[in-house]
Amino acid sequence: MERTVLPLAAAVSAKREGLPALVLLGPFLLAFLLFFLVPACETFWLSLTDSSLTRTNAFVGLDNYATLLRDASFRDALANTFYFALLTVIPLTALGLLMALLVNRFVRVQGWLQGVFFLPFVLPISVMTLVADWMLQPSSGIVNHLLGSQRPWLADPDWALPAVAIGTVWWTVGFNMLLFLAGLRNIPAEQYEAAALDGARGWSLFAHITWPSLRPVTTTCLILQMIASLKVFGQTYILTSGGPFNTTRVTLHYMYETAFTQSDAGYAAAIAMAFVAVVLMLSLLQAWVVRWMARRDA
Amino acid sequence: MARPGSGLAAAALLGLLGTGLSTPARAQMEVRMWTLLSGGDGARMQALVRDFNASQRDVRVVSTTLKWGEPFYTKLITASVVGAGPDLATVHLSRLVNLAGGGVLRPISNAELTAAGLQGGDYLARQWQKSQYRGAAYAVPIDMHPLVLYYNKTLAARAGLLGADGTLAPIEGIAALTDAFRAANERTGKPGLTMESSQSSYAIWRLWTSMLAQQNVGIIKDGRFTYGAAGEATLAGIAAWFRRGYAQVGLDYPASTSQFLGGGATFMLNGVWEVPELVRAAKAGTLGFDYGIVPLPRMYANASAWADSHGFALPANPGHEPSPQKVAAVLRFVAYVSRHSMGWAEGGHIPAYRPVAESPEAKALQPNAQYAAAAANVIYDPDGWYTGAAGPLEAIASKFMPAALYGYMTPAQAMRRFESESARLVRKPPPRY
Repeated sequence: MERTVLPLAAAVSAKREGLPALVLLGPFLLAFLLFFLVPACETFWLSLTDSSLTRTNAFVGLDNYATLLRDASFRDALANTFYFALLTVIPLTALGLLMALLVNRFVRVQGWLQGVFFLPFVLPISVMTLVADWMLQPSSGIVNHLLGSQRPWLADPDWALPAVAIGTVWWTVGFNMLLFLAGLRNIPAEQYEAAALDGARGWSLFAHITWPSLRPVTTTCLILQMIASLKVFGQTYILTSGGPFNTTRVTLHYMYETAFTQSDAGYAAAIAMAFVAVVLMLSLLQAWVVRWMARRDA
Repeated sequence: MARPGSGLAAAALLGLLGTGLSTPARAQMEVRMWTLLSGGDGARMQALVRDFNASQRDVRVVSTTLKWGEPFYTKLITASVVGAGPDLATVHLSRLVNLAGGGVLRPISNAELTAAGLQGGDYLARQWQKSQYRGAAYAVPIDMHPLVLYYNKTLAARAGLLGADGTLAPIEGIAALTDAFRAANERTGKPGLTMESSQSSYAIWRLWTSMLAQQNVGIIKDGRFTYGAAGEATLAGIAAWFRRGYAQVGLDYPASTSQFLGGGATFMLNGVWEVPELVRAAKAGTLGFDYGIVPLPRMYANASAWADSHGFALPANPGHEPSPQKVAAVLRFVAYVSRHSMGWAEGGHIPAYRPVAESPEAKALQPNAQYAAAAANVIYDPDGWYTGAAGPLEAIASKFMPAALYGYMTPAQAMRRFESESARLVRKPPPRY
């Protein structure tokens, strides 16, 4: 819900609240500056040099970026990252919505359902990957037991990334459920009552009240999820180490290998900066599409 | 030596907890050591540390085991160049060019060695030479562990591969070796060969470099790959064993060794570090067959076999350079391990300390004596900052070479990807960390 404030009143209150606001924001701004902005600028500077892991070497201008444009490994890693995002963003959002609807619908087992859906989210990544690895074991895993197959999921070039994606959905969907649940509870009950009086039932209630009212939450979910999915590293690093044959080596893993295995920090910084640009552009594009759709509907 | 497992990177950190233990009240010199030795090697090193600590009161070694391979080296490099490294580390001599050239290690002077009662001549010439970088010693060798051929005598007999004396009849030439795998496969109904071949397997690189060296073909020179058509042909030869079903594809290290230990394959290509497990199983009566070990057969012009060595090295720790007393304490432990490396030989390794290696006990030790001849033909990874155990070049090879065995890529595609992925690496000047 947006609050409407008169421009004049806003300016006055901004002036009066200036100092307290600054004091309150201070700790965050300091941390932001120290641990984000300064390192980010340093990374940009590093990307213009030929540096090793611990030593900043000669300035090479845009050489690293020129190399990046011709680097097939970088393109492969980007493609893997986008594939992972494709496999996770929409399922995570849709499943989160579905779970929230279920929790909202079955009031009597609400607490229990909510717990079951949210529990995986509180697991640290090390536990989540252990569980996923164990479930996906070729000979002893429960997944193959249920499917009656012998597939080495995480060593199969076609299935490794989808398998990691499924594990990730199971792991993080609980958070989206919470977002949607909050959204659902913000929809005034009167709207449903009025619609019910007009004879609306089931699907049309969802299509005409729930879905439109949830649009802001859905948008937030999609954007947060896309950024999270593009930033994937831990799951593939632990479960597949980028294998088999680089089919699950995502961009950040490529950056990690470049920096730490190959001690090529300058180039790794260039990968990082290029990736930031890609993610930023995608986020802006997504926000623009969402706004355009909202305008079209309005 | 152990293999990188599929465990969590975080698990390696658990080992660090050990370093926080408090020291006893006595004025002891504490030596902090990082090792990458796990499994049997790890246990043997722990025993050496324990015995050393019990043998005297001046020096106390505190050992921390980190995860084998890339995680170990990344940690060692980053810590040691900012002065936060340990006092002593076990490294592979194949990584010495990288570590010494990169400023990660400090040289060990002759005077320091002499003070500890050590001298270059005490070590096998090849391993001592591998410990040198630009005329200075940067490591003290511990051992050598070549690639060898293990065989199951029961299955080999059934395949008609044993000589009159009950040991493996000599195999000469690539065709003869392939025939042996085929015969074993056909006559026993089990894979003729087992070797680690899953993704990230270093074993294929080790075999491939051995086979190229046997053809007198070099791998890399001045930032260019020099193996030409032989590289692809050799990989295709290995892949053919798997394609024809002589070996089962996709086994990781534990799966391939258990296939052999369980009597599921006639031959196993592996390093000597699997010897203790065979000795243990044979002694416990759980093996179920008699085994033998021979040096890697001569397939082409010579009998070259890949090998690597462990060595002790002192991290440079700039800003926190070790005091002369610390160096003396470190080398005292190093000398102790050298003199007590007979136990290390029981790990399958060939000790690098000559008084032990050339002793009658070491020469009589079984099954080590069966493959002792391998020492004459060992080759190491080519020299370069990117080569060596779990180094970036091996890491790239371990991604694409298994793909050719799986049939996911053709040998030509696998070699092309190996080259394109390492192109930037091999042209880069050696990093000074």
